[in-house]
Amino acid sequence: MRTPLRSAVWLATAFALAECANPPVPPPNLLAPTEEQAALRAMQTRTFEVADRTQAMRGVIAALQDLGFIIERANDALGLVTAARFAEPGYNDMVGVTVIVRPQGADKMEIRVNAIYDNKPITDANIYQNFFATLEHSLFIGRT
Amino acid sequence: MPTTTRSSELRVPGLLRSLLAAAAALCLALATGCVHTPAAAFFQLTPESAQHRAAETRQFETSEGDELLSASAAVLQDLGFQVVESVREVGFLRAVKERTAREYTPEIWRGLLLAISSFGLISGQNTLIWMPVDLQQQIDASLVSRPIDTEGARHEVRILFYRVVWKGDGYAGSSYIPPGQQRMESIRDPRIYQLFFAKLSKAIFLEAHKI
Repeated sequence: MRTPLRSAVWLATAFALAECANPPVPPPNLLAPTEEQAALRAMQTRTFEVADRTQAMRGVIAALQDLGFIIERANDALGLVTAARFAEPGYNDMVGVTVIVRPQGADKMEIRVNAIYDNKPITDANIYQNFFATLEHSLFIGRT
Repeated sequence: MPTTTRSSELRVPGLLRSLLAAAAALCLALATGCVHTPAAAFFQLTPESAQHRAAETRQFETSEGDELLSASAAVLQDLGFQVVESVREVGFLRAVKERTAREYTPEIWRGLLLAISSFGLISGQNTLIWMPVDLQQQIDASLVSRPIDTEGARHEVRILFYRVVWKGDGYAGSSYIPPGQQRMESIRDPRIYQLFFAKLSKAIFLEAHKI
């Protein structure tokens, strides 16, 4: 009865040592762009006819505030806005948003937003569409 | 042979029933904290969005955006806040202050639960429950000032107050409940916002207009 047990122990040890000696090799395409990434980038990006980056950032901030987000950080030089909100009525989850505003030619701004919910990226195109609809309102209609 | 009288037999289940009802209410209250709202709900304007905007925003007839931001920082300082983030170019300020979160009601409930649990009425055994209560809170203010017309002659200030509350430690029998559990919530009491804007108007000698 002891021999099979001893063999099993040796086998398990051999497997463990083999794991240590040959750590898993990362696939060669680990950092390569995938179709999902390209699709996500497309749904997260929109170009607006706004010439002034600061004005675009102010519009982004106002849209996020209207949606109930708390502005956490803003960097005018980089065109970056970071905001978050609690997933009310539950208080355990957070929705985080990072927006980057970059000039696209002389009179356009490319705005990219990525959002995470409960530490997982949001991949629903409708959600980003809703955000851009609010942003459009804030950039062009909200101003008097 | 039963040694207790009929009346006492009836009394104990009655008490248990009330305790079960209280436990069910507690579970319900805890369950509401675990509600998983779909992500789409956070990216749509709701009927409350306009109400919140109105409460959090005031407009001022001034072209001095920097002056408005500086006065806002001064008012927040007067209210005991520390400014931790400021970006002049987009008119953004973030300020925080820490305060105790201890209140009488949770302390009374904690004492009551400890008393009930010490008689073994909850688990049937003598399991002491020392419920964690709110201990410390950080009140945050996130403020944005921006021009609202093309000439920059009028500005609006929007501020949101919110708080993060940390609980202390506790016990449920032999298992220790570590401190640090936190929850966050927006502050919606309109008086807080009215107070802030009244002070801001006074600081810049201008009347604050509701939107």
